[in-house]
Amino acid sequence: MSIDDATTAANDRLADRDDMIVCVNVDKFYGDFQALKGVTATIKEGEVAVVCGPSGSGKSTWIRCINRLEVHQGGDIVVDGIELTNDLRNIEKIRSEVGMVFQQFNLFPHLTVLDNITLAPIWVRKKPRAEAESMARALLERVGIPEQAEKFPGQLSGGQQQRVAIARSLAMEPRVMLFDEPTSALDPEMIKEVLDVMKELARSGITMMVVTHEMGFAREVADRIMFMEGGEIVEVGTPEHFFTNPTEDRTKLFLSQIL
Amino acid sequence: MEEEDPISVALTQEEGISPNEAPRLSVGQWLRTNLFSNWANTVLTILGALAAFLVLRGVLNFVFSENREWVAVRTNLRALMTLSYPESQYVRVWVALGFVVGLAGLSAGIWANWGGLPLRRLSTWFMGVGGLIALCVVVREPNVLVDSEGKALSTLEGSLQRESFGAAMADRVDWWIAAVVLFAFGAALWSRYSSVERRHVDLPITSIVYVGIGIAILTLWVVPYGHYAFVDGTYIAEPGTTVAFSTQMPWTVMWVLLGLGFFVGRFLRSSRYVGMSKAGSNLLWLICPFALFWVVLRDPALDYGHVISTDLPMGLAFGLLGAGALWLLTRSDIGEAGRIAATVLLVVAIFNWVAAFFGWYPMLQKARISFLLLALAALLAPNFIGDIAKRRQLVIGWLGVMALVHYLATMINTPSTVDLQSDEFLGGLGLTLFVAVIVVILSFPLGVLLALGRTSKFPIFRMLSTSYIEVIRGVPLISVLIFFSVMVPLFLPDGMELAELAAVLTGYTLFSAAYLAENVRGGLQSITKGQYEAADAIGLTAAQRTGFIVLPQALTVSIPQLVGQVISSFKETSLLAIIGLFDFLRVANSVIPAQSEFMGVKREGILVVAMIYFFFNFVISKYSQRLERRVGLGER
Repeated sequence: MSIDDATTAANDRLADRDDMIVCVNVDKFYGDFQALKGVTATIKEGEVAVVCGPSGSGKSTWIRCINRLEVHQGGDIVVDGIELTNDLRNIEKIRSEVGMVFQQFNLFPHLTVLDNITLAPIWVRKKPRAEAESMARALLERVGIPEQAEKFPGQLSGGQQQRVAIARSLAMEPRVMLFDEPTSALDPEMIKEVLDVMKELARSGITMMVVTHEMGFAREVADRIMFMEGGEIVEVGTPEHFFTNPTEDRTKLFLSQIL
Repeated sequence: MEEEDPISVALTQEEGISPNEAPRLSVGQWLRTNLFSNWANTVLTILGALAAFLVLRGVLNFVFSENREWVAVRTNLRALMTLSYPESQYVRVWVALGFVVGLAGLSAGIWANWGGLPLRRLSTWFMGVGGLIALCVVVREPNVLVDSEGKALSTLEGSLQRESFGAAMADRVDWWIAAVVLFAFGAALWSRYSSVERRHVDLPITSIVYVGIGIAILTLWVVPYGHYAFVDGTYIAEPGTTVAFSTQMPWTVMWVLLGLGFFVGRFLRSSRYVGMSKAGSNLLWLICPFALFWVVLRDPALDYGHVISTDLPMGLAFGLLGAGALWLLTRSDIGEAGRIAATVLLVVAIFNWVAAFFGWYPMLQKARISFLLLALAALLAPNFIGDIAKRRQLVIGWLGVMALVHYLATMINTPSTVDLQSDEFLGGLGLTLFVAVIVVILSFPLGVLLALGRTSKFPIFRMLSTSYIEVIRGVPLISVLIFFSVMVPLFLPDGMELAELAAVLTGYTLFSAAYLAENVRGGLQSITKGQYEAADAIGLTAAQRTGFIVLPQALTVSIPQLVGQVISSFKETSLLAIIGLFDFLRVANSVIPAQSEFMGVKREGILVVAMIYFFFNFVISKYSQRLERRVGLGER
């Protein structure tokens, strides 16, 4: 299959889907510094979007704006038809539909793995404890560490912790998963186990937005790759387009540096 | 059980029991590497040993001096514990203490995981105590010689004449026997349990503690501790009876209760009610200071005629009529009529208070309160409209609230039958412990709230909490206490009185809360931003985030500081003496020296008081170290 055929196929696959995340002219300032300069993008339901770019390009800031960990000052963000405003009810609704995985895992160190995963289903989704626990065990099975349920996060390796963090997000049955450099804090030999889980997740059809430097992962599972620099989206395209035939000079420079 | 196994593993590891022990240094090598490694260390070692020798000799000479009147402390044990609490009512104190002791046993049974103490270690303790006693016997100076009238003899130069060293050792033969018996027992244990295969034979620490307490109580049956009674405003000695005689039986009962509580706790721990028992025992600890305070100081002199003619009918009327009204108000076809009825009830309830203010018509206070509660329940009623189960919940809740309110109102409004001799409140160690416990329990939630307020993102909370904390921390405790005991009554409206102790407790609680708040804030600042973000990202509300994620971690981090605050709250209760209350220290410092038999005998009492303070604080501090190790497990 040629490159153009692949691009066309990907576009066709996404064309009739609903919009999941819509960002229009999103601006974000830290004091005088403008971190996001009119970011505009649409992510379709079931799409796997990879965001890459040099550090300081605003990719983490953007992904953190989508579930309101950062407050954007200009433009609109709409997630699954809900507009992100200062209205607390909207923020809560979006957060319960959007899962997030952090670079530093951010597990709760005083709770066991099982309690980490069941906390939100029990208290936010109001599920009975038994049901939440059986779901948590199923999720641990899915991320490949069913035997660690009773341990504390500090007793696990980095890769295991990140997989628990993914299970914790999935326990809320989100429609969108955001990954903020999920493998950057891991030792090289642990990166693969986390990426495998993410690949499995991508194939399951959930909407994913991934900030990462793992170009192998991007090439394999991304529907689209967005390249950011200086708070702007510079180039968008399918992996084939992006890796073999980038149009922008800045993209070429970036790729030459990391590949 | 899962969470406990790693702990016991961690604890045994810490005690150094590993299958392959590191090679040990011989005594000579140890001395050389640790004490005499170079000339400077040698000098420091010798100076240190000299200082230790002088301190020990000074303390022993003080304690065993023929000028000491330990009988003053022995006879005044009861005064040190409760001061003027009437003897006829002592059974209440025992009941209260028995409850605490039983609860302590129960909690130990449910929670304690103390593991075992190797007999080899225990044997070294015995040898150590035996050796220490022998050392003390030798170090103490020989007794002063006295003449036939008991006056100390002195040499021509004016210094005291002492018996010869040999005679002194012969005089102290009983101490020698004690030392030798203990040391020999330890050595026998050591030789039996020091072989490699018996090295790790353990005795459960719980049994060691229990037997130790038992031995201490056994001494009450043997040693005459003396007795001093407070009758008609003066203290008189009763040479015939001793405290030991009057307390040996109750203390033995306490000991049995402790054991029973422990076994019940162990049983619950292995049953499937373990979670419920843990929550239940915690709850009991929290409410027991207040409930026991009630037991010790109040037994309402109920006028049963009044109870039957007024209190009971009124409670029943409010309970049943209110229940009927609420049942009607939660009918599904009630509609707008429910709101109108609730509003009318609210207007009537408020009017009752207005009428009370202007004195238009008399009404019992509890009737006004009941009316107001009924109006509030009626306002809540729309939430319970629907199925029978929900309606029943509301009605049962109402009946429970009415029972509680009317019971408390009746009890509070009748005078106490506990007639304290003199106008002093409970005194002695009882007062000290009471104030310390109540202040810690009350100031803890307040301190946490203040800390959260100070770190809140709402400027008004932040400003209020910060200024409160800074103002209180800028004022000495003693001035807060004086302010609350002297000034506050002046500001209160006419006819409203606050017992001095209540005023002081309020002031002390407010003071302590400010310091606790700063300790908790330190813990709050140690929580990383990532924890807040993760909690937000999984959709927790701000309250859930605080309760499940932030506070548990923050409080864990601040355990050492919080325990420090508890200890200092306990010690600083001695400042109560300055505003006229008779705490433990003041009994030793002013009450005993004022008795005609023990005029001016002060030092003995103060030393004993200091030791008891130290004992409590040492236990608290040890417990907190254990707690730190326990909760630290989650972090690793």
